Amino acid sequence: MSDLARTFLEGSFDLLWRVFLIVVPIMVALELFEGSRPFGAVVRGWSRLVGRLGLTEDTAAPTLIGFLFGLAYGGGVIIRDTERHGFGRRQVFLMSVFLSMVHAIVEDSLVLVAVGASALWVIGFRTLWAVAVTAVLGAAATAFARRRRPS
Amino acid sequence: MDPSSPKPPPAGARPPAAPPTGAPAPDTPPADTPPAAARPPFFAAVRRDVRVGVRSGLHTFWILARAMIPAYLLALVLKEVGVIDWLAHTAGPVMSLLGLPGDAAVPLAFAYILNLYAAVGAMQALSLSGQQITVLALAMLIGHNLLVEGAVLRRTGMNPFLFGALRVVAGLSCAAVANLIMSTL
Repeated sequence: MSDLARTFLEGSFDLLWRVFLIVVPIMVALELFEGSRPFGAVVRGWSRLVGRLGLTEDTAAPTLIGFLFGLAYGGGVIIRDTERHGFGRRQVFLMSVFLSMVHAIVEDSLVLVAVGASALWVIGFRTLWAVAVTAVLGAAATAFARRRRPS
Repeated sequence: MDPSSPKPPPAGARPPAAPPTGAPAPDTPPADTPPAAARPPFFAAVRRDVRVGVRSGLHTFWILARAMIPAYLLALVLKEVGVIDWLAHTAGPVMSLLGLPGDAAVPLAFAYILNLYAAVGAMQALSLSGQQITVLALAMLIGHNLLVEGAVLRRTGMNPFLFGALRVVAGLSCAAVANLIMSTL
C-alpha cells in the first residue's frame, strides 16, 4: 500500500512536471506568434486541410497543436480557446474526435517506432484512419442534428 | 494567403483580454493587421505576450492538473486491484482477430488504463514479429491513457465514456484492418 502511495506521488510529480514543462512554453509561444504572418500561413494551410472535415479556421490552431504535441497539451489549448472564442459544440466534437484518433504524432509515434513499429503505418495509416472516422462521425452528427430539429 | 478564398476574415484576432500597456505606440500599423488598437513598441509587446502566455499557461496547467491527478490515482488503484490482469484475460481471445497472441492483451490493457510507456514496457516481455508490433502499436496509439485523457476531454464538455469507447473500438478496428491489409500484401 505504501508502495502504491509512493508510485502515486512520484508518478504525479513526473506527470505534472512534464505537463508544466510543455504547456507553459507552448502558451507563451502561441501568444508570441499567434498574430504573426508565418504562423497565420501555417494555420491557414492546415485549416484548408482539416476544413474538409468541417473544422473552421479558429479550431484549426488547437487541432494542429494537439496533432503535433498531444491531447493533454492540445486539450489545454482547446480549453483556453473555448473559453476565449466560445466554439460551438459541433466544432468541439469534431476536434475531439479527430484528436482522440490521432494526437502527439511526434512523441507517441517515436516511442513505438523505437521498439520496432513501422513508421509508415503508425503515422500514415493512423492519420488516414483518423480522417475517415472524423468524416463519418461528422456526417452522422449532422444527420442526427437534422432529424431532431427539422427545418 | 490569397484573398480570393471566401474565408471569413482574421481568425487570429485577439480578444481584448489584456489591454496594451506601455507607451502609446509611435505606430505605423501594417496595413493588414486587423486590430485597430494602437500597437505598443516591439519589446513592450513581447513582454506583454510573455506575461499573458505565462498566465494562461499556468491557468491551463492548473485545470489539467486537477483533471489528471485523480484520474491517475484511479488508474493506479485499478491496476492494484487486478483490473488490468482481468482485462488482459478477457481480451485475450479478441487478439486473434488482430493476428496477435493472447498475451498481447496485457500491453494493450496497460495502454488503456495507464499509458503508452507502461504498455511499451509490457510489450518488451513478448516476442512479436514486426507486423504484430505495428498492428498492436496502432491499437495502442489510438486508445491509451483513457482515464487521464478522458478527464482532459471532459473539461471541453465532451462525454469521456463515449470517447473512451470510441477510441477502444476504433483502435481495435484500425488494427484489424491494418493486419488484413498487411497480411494480403
